[in-house]
Amino acid sequence: MLKKIKLEEAVGTQLAHDMTEIRPGEFKGAAFHKGHTVCNEDLCRLQKMGKNHLYVIDLDEDEIHEDQAAAILADALAGDGIVWKNEPREGKIKLLAEKDGLFAVDTAALAAFNMVDEVMCATLHNHTLVKKGELVAATRAIPLIMKRAPIQRAAAIARQNGALLAIRPIRKAKVGLVITGNEVYQGLIEDRFAPILSEKVNALGSEVSEVTYAPDDAELIRKAIRSHLDRGCNLLMLSGGMSVDPDDVTRQGIRSAGAGEMHYGASVLPGAMFLVAYVGDVPLLGVPACGLFHRITVLDLILPRILAGEKIGKAELAFLGHGGLCKDCEECTFPHCPFGKGI
Amino acid sequence: MESFEVLLESSAEAHGHLCPGQVVGVRMAMLGCRLIGLDAPRRHDQIKKLIIYVEMDRCTADAVAHVTGVKLGRRSLKFMDYGIMAATFVNLETGKAFRVVSTEAARSLANSYAPEIADKYPQQLEAYKRMPDSVLFRVQQVKVKINECDLPGPTRYKTSCSRCGQVVRDQREVIQDGAVLCKPCAQESYFTDAAEVTWPDMNWKPENSLKQSRKDARSELL
Repeated sequence: MLKKIKLEEAVGTQLAHDMTEIRPGEFKGAAFHKGHTVCNEDLCRLQKMGKNHLYVIDLDEDEIHEDQAAAILADALAGDGIVWKNEPREGKIKLLAEKDGLFAVDTAALAAFNMVDEVMCATLHNHTLVKKGELVAATRAIPLIMKRAPIQRAAAIARQNGALLAIRPIRKAKVGLVITGNEVYQGLIEDRFAPILSEKVNALGSEVSEVTYAPDDAELIRKAIRSHLDRGCNLLMLSGGMSVDPDDVTRQGIRSAGAGEMHYGASVLPGAMFLVAYVGDVPLLGVPACGLFHRITVLDLILPRILAGEKIGKAELAFLGHGGLCKDCEECTFPHCPFGKGI
Repeated sequence: MESFEVLLESSAEAHGHLCPGQVVGVRMAMLGCRLIGLDAPRRHDQIKKLIIYVEMDRCTADAVAHVTGVKLGRRSLKFMDYGIMAATFVNLETGKAFRVVSTEAARSLANSYAPEIADKYPQQLEAYKRMPDSVLFRVQQVKVKINECDLPGPTRYKTSCSRCGQVVRDQREVIQDGAVLCKPCAQESYFTDAAEVTWPDMNWKPENSLKQSRKDARSELL
């Protein structure tokens, strides 16, 4: 438990917690650290910080200090690729990315964790691309002293599916592009899809191994897909032929190439006619024409997740709806905007 | 103990419908029994070791009773009218007791665990299946002092009301000004204005139906 003592009686005692000082616009941080022995010279500064009393800690058997609690919580939260140091500052522990990758948050478990009284964890958005060393989350216990059991329950909640936070490495994929459309195939217009898609693939560390052009012919599209698969491509991207025109047969081609699972339509604008299919374990992404006109589309939300090994199905595409509306700003600031952040 | 799915199905059938409270109750019972070390509470060798105090008369209470086999008439089920979604599981052999409390947070979290379902009750039902025990419940180890007159087994104590003569069992009598009273006479009952009446067919008894069944049995033999 905590015992309150008057400031003038505190000389010689050790501080129970970091004492935060805020000088507006100038400084916010620990003026005194936990464990500091209060001396006469400190009294004036503490008074200026508005402190007339201090706490002395006398822990019961079933109680723990906020620093111990923060360490228990951080340990439970941190999964693969997350690191932290047991050096709480003002009761708070920061969790950092141990490597480059896609930050993954079990959002239901996070909500459940934060519903436990007296604990908190704040994170970056789920599916954020992060670099090694980047701050991805922080946790703390709210009171200075608390019962041990709720902290351990919060830790159990954090571990319900392994760990609540993780960094998923982005794999290097061998990508095959299939650019469909009679107009491009026949040379009536110049293809602009291949360079755009290649740039997005390269930006994530993968490479396009080959680009194949096919007319609006389901059989030729099927052959192009099979050819990429036979050459060992482990991610295929197809452009064109994704809309509702009678000439748009890309989906037929994908189906006949052996796609066992196919999800057409994403709750994102731009990108409603996006398609995700799987031939065996190999994902096929059908990129609609919006990919030519908008710098950022549904592809930018899904591609990193695919490369991080996530299986994308109907639910994943549907849940993008909340936050899935691009505001089409004059100056695009993605990923520093709400687009795709609602999940 | 049977699997959760089997228990939920039979519990819903016994209760009359499948509802979120059934899911919570079945899981509460499974957790409570696990905590006090009973893996087959309805089995003969375990049935007498268990007493459960339920703190609500809602769907969850039926599920807890169904899964564990505790019964009011067997005195293994105690109803404490607290209006709290909780039940305490007592192992009479070891004396260990755990109070399992359904968290209010679980209700708020249903949307997080079953976001694809929009309707409230179907969403809760599915979410309560998906949540781990750590989210669905809080548990307290507690001490439960059970009076001898509350234990299962034969009636240990009887007395009579000094006002109306009614026999009162298990020390439920009230002493007022030195007099032994039943609760109705002591004005502690749930009813008022009791007036004895007569009713139609006052002499009915099941004897006739017994006779009929005997006749049936005889005709089958002939």
